[in-house]
Amino acid sequence: MLEGVSVVRDGRAILDSVDLTLRERRIAVLGPNGSGKSTLVRLLNGLVTPSKGRVAVDGHDTAKDAALVRRRVGFVFQNPENQIVFPIVSEDLAFGLKHLKLPKAELHRRVLEALERFGIGHLAERQSHTLSGGERQLVALAAVMVMKPALVVFDEPTTLLDLRNRNRIRAAITEMPESAIVVSHDLDLVRDFDRAIVIDQGRVVRDDRPGPAIDWYRAHFG
Amino acid sequence: MKTQDIVLIALFTAITVVLGLMPPITLGFIPVPITLQTLGVMLAGVVLGAKRGGLAMLLLVLLVAIGLPVLAGGRGGLGVLAGPTAGFVLGWVPGAFVSGLLAERLAAAEKRPARQVVAFFLAAAIGGIGVVYAVGIPWLAFVAGIGFKKAALGSLAFVPGDLAKAVVAALVARGVHRAYPVLPGR
Amino acid sequence: MIGSLYIGGDSLLHRQPAWRKLLVLFAAGIVLFVVQAPEILAGAAVAAAAILATVRPPLRALRRQLTGVAIILAAIFAANAVFADWGTAFAMLFRLSTLVLLALAVTMTTRTSDMLEVVERVLQPLERTGLVNAARVSLAVSLAIRFVPEIFARYREIRDAQAARGLAGNPVALIVPLVVRTLKSAEEIAAAIDARGFEGAHPSGSASGRTGRQGGTAS
Repeated sequence: MLEGVSVVRDGRAILDSVDLTLRERRIAVLGPNGSGKSTLVRLLNGLVTPSKGRVAVDGHDTAKDAALVRRRVGFVFQNPENQIVFPIVSEDLAFGLKHLKLPKAELHRRVLEALERFGIGHLAERQSHTLSGGERQLVALAAVMVMKPALVVFDEPTTLLDLRNRNRIRAAITEMPESAIVVSHDLDLVRDFDRAIVIDQGRVVRDDRPGPAIDWYRAHFG
Repeated sequence: MKTQDIVLIALFTAITVVLGLMPPITLGFIPVPITLQTLGVMLAGVVLGAKRGGLAMLLLVLLVAIGLPVLAGGRGGLGVLAGPTAGFVLGWVPGAFVSGLLAERLAAAEKRPARQVVAFFLAAAIGGIGVVYAVGIPWLAFVAGIGFKKAALGSLAFVPGDLAKAVVAALVARGVHRAYPVLPGR
Repeated sequence: MIGSLYIGGDSLLHRQPAWRKLLVLFAAGIVLFVVQAPEILAGAAVAAAAILATVRPPLRALRRQLTGVAIILAAIFAANAVFADWGTAFAMLFRLSTLVLLALAVTMTTRTSDMLEVVERVLQPLERTGLVNAARVSLAVSLAIRFVPEIFARYREIRDAQAARGLAGNPVALIVPLVVRTLKSAEEIAAAIDARGFEGAHPSGSASGRTGRQGGTAS
């Protein structure tokens, strides 16, 4: 839920008076480079706070209750190299869980469960830097899902992947029961979504079903 | 301190470890091989500033203490910190701090290219050589019982290499500062 | 890639808790500087070597860790022998050798994680004063270990790219892009940590918006 949100940085308006209510289970965010779509989705878990206006997730203000909001909203970034922050895969998944003060056995069980869900249980004890690009993105996704968020935001999750790994991530996103908001240039991925929002120069310029929104996007920015 | 500061500190510690992994350079006129690790010490200060630079080196000392082979040539562990040259490693912490302090005060806001490079060089040399030796030499003299003068004389062999590194540090600092400045106090 | 210097085993030293080994090492450091008799110090050095031998360290590791310090010890011995007397020279040689060997034995028998636990426990009283935060310290340690291989890989990539442009052997052309790339990645790594609810950096619980450079991420 965004109400009259503007984001200004270094004197430049990156987002300008955006009003959106996001309820659909699968939402795509499209837009050319520099349009402000990354900033838009970073607002949703408090990574960016609005210069003006209000962002709320289930009634919680992202600026005031960032910790609470981040427990509900997971975030998967474009570059998997930079989001795995621990030397061993299982340590990385345990990182977010640590401050939930779970017993050790329960923590271990949830880590394995999250890895198994994406078919990468065998990677648990691997060193992070030996993973391939696709494995990294799956580990990053598992590290987010282990926190059991209600909503997951993806910022161009397939851009840096090859075709095979792109398909693995696409399948993972399509199959997950949680809500997802996906920023992507990958039009095939978002075609079956429930809603598509097109951003340009910090404003919402189109908000529609994916079919017409993609056609419109192609016509204007293709 | 924000998460980003913690990340910057840790990444610079890692850069300093990587610089130590590079093969030592042998130059004809310098009696000892040069490792690039102390370049990392100077860079931590002049790129990150006093506080974060000093903490990056403190983190490196912590990695050494807990038994990781993060020093040039794969050395590490408490043996290094118990040895007679420990002062030269511990001196990296105040050394990077002083380099950073001088870079913040003298170099960060300097507009003229040549002057900025000179300011960065002075920061790197005073912190990365002056302060590091000011800790390392008395430490060596005390632990080895050989007296200040002889400890200083023995360390002299490393000065030409360290001066060369301060020049590289200054040029790198200017390049980084233009491309992606992170020095505080701008 | 930066594997620990720890050597697996089940010696008496392996079974001691880390804090006890560190405490003994610390005490030995003090005692060794009080004792002056070369005969006693020689005995201590032999004992230290024997203790290190019970750990069964591989020769390669010993050579790597001890060659440098052996050269320095030889120089110190020579300086003391020339400018002081044989007694002082031997006392100093045995004293420093004992310390280095004992410290190496502790490092080789203690896991990095156990060592880190001691560090965290020592930091606890400081944590109450608000000066340090153990969660931040362990995060920083993990990050540094995690990103050494990553940065080394970046270094090799950049080196090859520079060589292709005819800039091989120019350290500035190599290190500037290495540092800039690494600094830029810090922003995204920090965002990834914050996004997963890391609260160590915000003890008050109210994480404020990052005010760092954002230009690179607005796409």
